[in-house]
Amino acid sequence: MTAVHQFHPVLAPGDAMSDHVFALRTRFQEWGYDSEAYAVETKPGLAVEPRSYRELFRRVQPDDTLLLHYSMGHEVFDELVRLPARRVLMYHNVTPAEFFVGINPHSAAHARLGERQLARLAPAIDLGVGVSEFNRRALDAAGYETTASVPILIDWSRLDVEPDPEVRALLAGIHSKLLFVGRISPNKRQDELIRMLAYYRRCIDPEALLVLVGGHRDQPQYFARLRALADAVGLGGAVRFTGAVSQAQLVGYYRAASCFISLSEHEGFGVPLLESMYSGLPVVALDAAAVGETVGGAGVLLPEKDLAEAAEACALVNEDLGWRAQLIDAGHERVKSFDPEVVAAKTKTVLGL
Amino acid sequence: MTQQVDLDALLAEVRERVRRKRERGIYGADVVALMRTELPGGRRLLSDDMKDPVGALAEALDDDVIYDPTSHKRIVGPFITLGRRILISLLRWWMAAITDRQERINRLLAATFDVEGQLAPRFGERLARLEREWQQRKEHEVAANMHSVYFQARFGGDEPVIREQSEAFIDLFAGRDRVLDLGCGRGIFLELLKDKGIGGYGIDLDPKMVSQARERGFEAFEQDALAHIESLPAKSIDGVYARHIAEHVLPGDLVAMLRALRRALQPGSPVVFVTPNVSNLSVGAHTFWMDPSHLRPIPPDLFKFYLEVEGFRGVGVRTFQPSDQRLSEEFSDARARDNARLLNQTLFGDRDYAVVGFQPDA
Repeated sequence: MTAVHQFHPVLAPGDAMSDHVFALRTRFQEWGYDSEAYAVETKPGLAVEPRSYRELFRRVQPDDTLLLHYSMGHEVFDELVRLPARRVLMYHNVTPAEFFVGINPHSAAHARLGERQLARLAPAIDLGVGVSEFNRRALDAAGYETTASVPILIDWSRLDVEPDPEVRALLAGIHSKLLFVGRISPNKRQDELIRMLAYYRRCIDPEALLVLVGGHRDQPQYFARLRALADAVGLGGAVRFTGAVSQAQLVGYYRAASCFISLSEHEGFGVPLLESMYSGLPVVALDAAAVGETVGGAGVLLPEKDLAEAAEACALVNEDLGWRAQLIDAGHERVKSFDPEVVAAKTKTVLGL
Repeated sequence: MTQQVDLDALLAEVRERVRRKRERGIYGADVVALMRTELPGGRRLLSDDMKDPVGALAEALDDDVIYDPTSHKRIVGPFITLGRRILISLLRWWMAAITDRQERINRLLAATFDVEGQLAPRFGERLARLEREWQQRKEHEVAANMHSVYFQARFGGDEPVIREQSEAFIDLFAGRDRVLDLGCGRGIFLELLKDKGIGGYGIDLDPKMVSQARERGFEAFEQDALAHIESLPAKSIDGVYARHIAEHVLPGDLVAMLRALRRALQPGSPVVFVTPNVSNLSVGAHTFWMDPSHLRPIPPDLFKFYLEVEGFRGVGVRTFQPSDQRLSEEFSDARARDNARLLNQTLFGDRDYAVVGFQPDA
């Protein structure tokens, strides 16, 4: 039996990338392939225990497919691409270094390595797959000869869990609850969201709240500066950093918020945009990187960054029930094109399995 | 299927909301200032600085390197901190040598863009000013600010005179299908071509001239001569007549024009360039300059040489348009007569000349 081996340097629970790896693993097994996930580093709490990447050197056969998930540089990739197998690289994007320079030198150095390695691996890869057209174009630019794109497999049932009642209670009685979900990271521009909230509180609703859901472990410097910024604009209490949250809490935020707002300047796909739509939350987002193609006309896309316009767009979809209903409907419709069966079938075709 | 959301209408509504708030003073300077608050505690995002790199460079040059070696780990923290401090002090001079070199490069690069103590944030502005001045210089050189209507009325050529001059060359073009008249004006030469059953068309830079030519039923376009010739397919024309064009272009452009013609002309096609005869001193020193848009006088021998060098065959010069004034040559003394003749040639010879050449056969 031929096998499809998947590798990503780090596999962790609650991470969109890792979820994708495990969702694919289930599919590969359903299609009759032997399939395991391999990693260098594993974070505790995963439902399936990944194997050590070292085992790959023993197990990979020439007829196998080796699926390398790429979202960061790692020296192990250089070794793995020498294995005799059909080598497929699935590109989840690397955030460009200029977002980290002067904020987090460590992340900047890693980003640079990641970009360089991506280009270096190109000749050894048989097929490059972007999880968005944006990512596919990046592969083309990095010198990949054969490329394709296929979206991430999202397990929507995870969003059907009962929302955390505490989250609901916490946000009850507040009219304007602006939500953004994503790691605290300079490319996601949470600083701009805080500045936008300043407008919102001054010009629209003095009680408005900004909820920033997402872990801040990787970017302690940026996180500290975000909090200082919130204080500097006098919004200390109006910006809520939740840190990493449970699935029930996440669903609670999606269900209770009045609007999802993204001013992120770099997204390789943008899963939370779709999760919002699935949860019946209207989306307002800056049209940057892969955001536009993911939103696909089912949310308010801001053609340029104007914080006043972003705030007013959030207010409009919150206040005007007509627009709100239209956007929610469009969102539900949009999510259908990311139905796991549809995406799985496409993945199967693209990977030639 | 749900209907597509009309996002343009939604965005229009959003902009209207912003506009109203600005109008009512709710969205004022204080809010703008608040939204411009910098991220405290360190540098701006490089991705933001990249939007105004030269402005940000000035600040970056004066930045200090900030590094805190303190480790906050429990128990081992102080040892790590000590280890880092020792390493830093050991590597200090090596690092200093590297940063010193980098500092040199940075300063030199910055100086390259430095103008009067300011790092050229106005680089584009300076470039625009230079372009503006250069354009002005080109316009002033040919007195482009003078009203051409008046000039035309005062010095412009007489239609019958032009017609008569051009007639002398018409036989060269007999039987041709596609003769190009460079600087066709009102279409005097085009009319001559038509009368003889010769096919042709013209181009001119002056839109008024072009429209007059068109009103008279000729095919004429408003276009620059060199650009037009270069755009022509190979061997697509079979003759060129260019009356008083060469003196309006710089020598390099003239050569480029001849070169492009060599490609565009069919074998055996005639080429005629008419220009003031500056070997006549009263033309060269006086009447040539009566038109401020004349750039360079071209001596007949030089023009002939241009054509020969570019590969035209059978190149010759014909002079015409005798001067009205001349010295009397009625001297009984032969030497005085020769002198008067020489003076007449030099001072009052023919005022125009044509250089004629042919595209080689195949």
